[in-house]
Amino acid sequence: MQLKHGLISVDDHVQESPDLWTSRLSARQWADRIPHLERASDGTERWVVDGTVVMDGYAARAGALMADRNREPTRWQEVPAGAYLPSERLKAMDAAGIDYSVLFPTVAGMAGETFGRIQDPELEVACVRAYNDWLIEEWAAPSNRFIAQCIVPIWPPEATVAEIQRAVSRGHCGVVFPAVPMHLRDVPHIGEPDYDPVWAICEELEVPLCLHTGSSPQLQYAPFTGLAPTLAEALNAVSRPVSGIFVISLYSFSRVLLRHPRLQVIFAESALGWGKTYMEKADLEFDHDGLAREGYELTPSELFHRQCYFTSWFDDLALFIPYLGADHILWSANLPLTSSTWPRTQEVVERCCRGVSDEARQQVLWKNAARLYRLPSAD
Amino acid sequence: MELKYRLISADSHAAFDRDAFTSRMSAKWGDRIPRVVEVEHDGCSVHRWTYYGNAPRPEGSGVCNCPALMEDRSFPHFPQRWEEVPRAAFDPQARLEALDTDGVDAEVLFHGPDVYEFSDADFELDFVRAANDAMGEWTQVSDRYLPLAQVPWLSGAQAVAREIGRAVVDCGHRGVHLHAQTPRPLPHLGDPYWDPVWAVCQELAVPVNFHGSAGLDAGVGKREARWRGYSPRQGHSAHVTPSCVTPAQVIPHLIFSGITERFPNLNFVFAESGIGGLTYALATCDHEWESRHLWTEGIATRPSDTVARQIYLNFWYEAAAPLLHHGGVDNIMWESDLPHIPCFYPKSREAAERVLEGVPTADRRKLLYENAARLYRLRLTGPAGGTPD
Repeated sequence: MQLKHGLISVDDHVQESPDLWTSRLSARQWADRIPHLERASDGTERWVVDGTVVMDGYAARAGALMADRNREPTRWQEVPAGAYLPSERLKAMDAAGIDYSVLFPTVAGMAGETFGRIQDPELEVACVRAYNDWLIEEWAAPSNRFIAQCIVPIWPPEATVAEIQRAVSRGHCGVVFPAVPMHLRDVPHIGEPDYDPVWAICEELEVPLCLHTGSSPQLQYAPFTGLAPTLAEALNAVSRPVSGIFVISLYSFSRVLLRHPRLQVIFAESALGWGKTYMEKADLEFDHDGLAREGYELTPSELFHRQCYFTSWFDDLALFIPYLGADHILWSANLPLTSSTWPRTQEVVERCCRGVSDEARQQVLWKNAARLYRLPSAD
Repeated sequence: MELKYRLISADSHAAFDRDAFTSRMSAKWGDRIPRVVEVEHDGCSVHRWTYYGNAPRPEGSGVCNCPALMEDRSFPHFPQRWEEVPRAAFDPQARLEALDTDGVDAEVLFHGPDVYEFSDADFELDFVRAANDAMGEWTQVSDRYLPLAQVPWLSGAQAVAREIGRAVVDCGHRGVHLHAQTPRPLPHLGDPYWDPVWAVCQELAVPVNFHGSAGLDAGVGKREARWRGYSPRQGHSAHVTPSCVTPAQVIPHLIFSGITERFPNLNFVFAESGIGGLTYALATCDHEWESRHLWTEGIATRPSDTVARQIYLNFWYEAAAPLLHHGGVDNIMWESDLPHIPCFYPKSREAAERVLEGVPTADRRKLLYENAARLYRLRLTGPAGGTPD
């Protein structure tokens, strides 16, 4: 591992290329159910997955790299190369001072949720495997500055486990799991023990489980439909990271974390402001609801400090480190989403690190991530 | 109002006496009038409220949600029969003693059954008027009570505005309790359809108050917090913990939907939400406003300036000091949440001191009573009083 800037961004997104699935899935077997870019009558292009338009009809999500941050690409030719070309992304990372970038999908879902909505498990697995192979071959293989994370089929658990094993053996370093699979199709609640093999394989392979926000619109307060698109986009950008609290609350109180002490869980695209309050509120409810009497050996904040991580990209670290701990906070740039700090990432980092010790700063900006993703020669 | 303890709760709860509705609502509603009835639960005969003649659910929170006033606090206990309900939960005279025990001068009162959803607009209107009348009577017992009016959603925006006017002017209510999730099929809260409601609240200078989850469907609904081996108490924790982000969910809507631009003198309060969502809302709304140039979309005011001008949040369990760095000292109010599960009664003062560690004295006064007195327009008297600036 080599650090020039001292920053590992733990939450960036790749833009999948138009031929990713069409070149890897059998056209004879799946025909136009294969994820592909489709031209609409008005000339715009949008992604269609198994007959459903995804990504709100945009060709890509790359606001931060667009000349006008309010305009997402509506045609492939408008998509900035830094969104989908690894060589161009490396240049964007250099410009923003990012050493390593942990990758999440876009068409496959900000939280890896897109294919979980496919009712046919065979097509779901085929789409998932194609993405995981592509990410290794096109991104992780050419540059070790990209840290690949696999997506998974959500059900049955044997399929999830098998894909995690396959992907990790191919070089994936983390597992992107759409936190609330029961919102995607008719599968059991995440609190059920059916999922235990999934959590167990992550523990065994020592790969972090990444629960990125955006897994389900049911976790977000939708804007008024009459609102101007720019205002609606702004509202969605603010609403999505807040929804992470429902996920950590579910995973804590349903005992998933309690039963799997070695499972490392990253709440990607969360935030520290509400993170601090979450722990104080959860401990208060835990105490006043008398849960110590109901077989919980650890309080929600103890669970957090044992195995959870919040991420941030704009919070004032000095205020929150005393509560969350420098060893449980990770940093991100959110490339290339509109909410990204790019290209002022390092400037924002400096502002957020004011009054923070060198050691704490290094933990948040790269040491914790290097440990979680087991980058070579990391202490 | 005489200030003795220098502590005002901006969020407490009043229950209704068992005859509150039978004595006030039109007899034409018959058995649909909310009242307390006998039901069987675990082989015992227990009391529960029934609304609109629906069969009450015997499980759940007993006949009154008041665990903080119960004798045994080691685990949440809910009274199963009306005789067990401590009078301080529903009787304004008895409540005064509880306030003195807790060292609280005054309290903003939310009221009403925990959950009700009517599909009959006429019934709802009659019910809401009865509820607002009943709570108005608390203000005749003591000026230490500051009730918030309920609204007849199903009758539409104009009727909601009329009832707010009646409740404030005729009954002495000090604010309005709204849900951020409007009942279907009514328009979204961000729809200008609701402008008559914002207009009347601004004109009467009464704040709009959201409570807890603000009724939002988004998130871990009660149904969501269930799994095999789940217990009601675990489900309760999983369901209510996330309400600490309600301000982070709703404030951006108030701003980006243009409501705060159109009604710059209207105040909003987030009760039982805590203040941790504030730093998030400020930072992210400002970031979106700047990077998307939202002043070109009709949002002229910087979101953090809007928040400072119009929005209040309550706290009671969080370490406050770190959250005041980004402003908010004029917009944060203490609350007790009496008599619900998360409340620290009868040691509210002690709990408040704990979370105020590191907060300067002048700021403490603002948080503990001055901000609430200003917002709810209390004239403070007595040795500890003096009108706050």
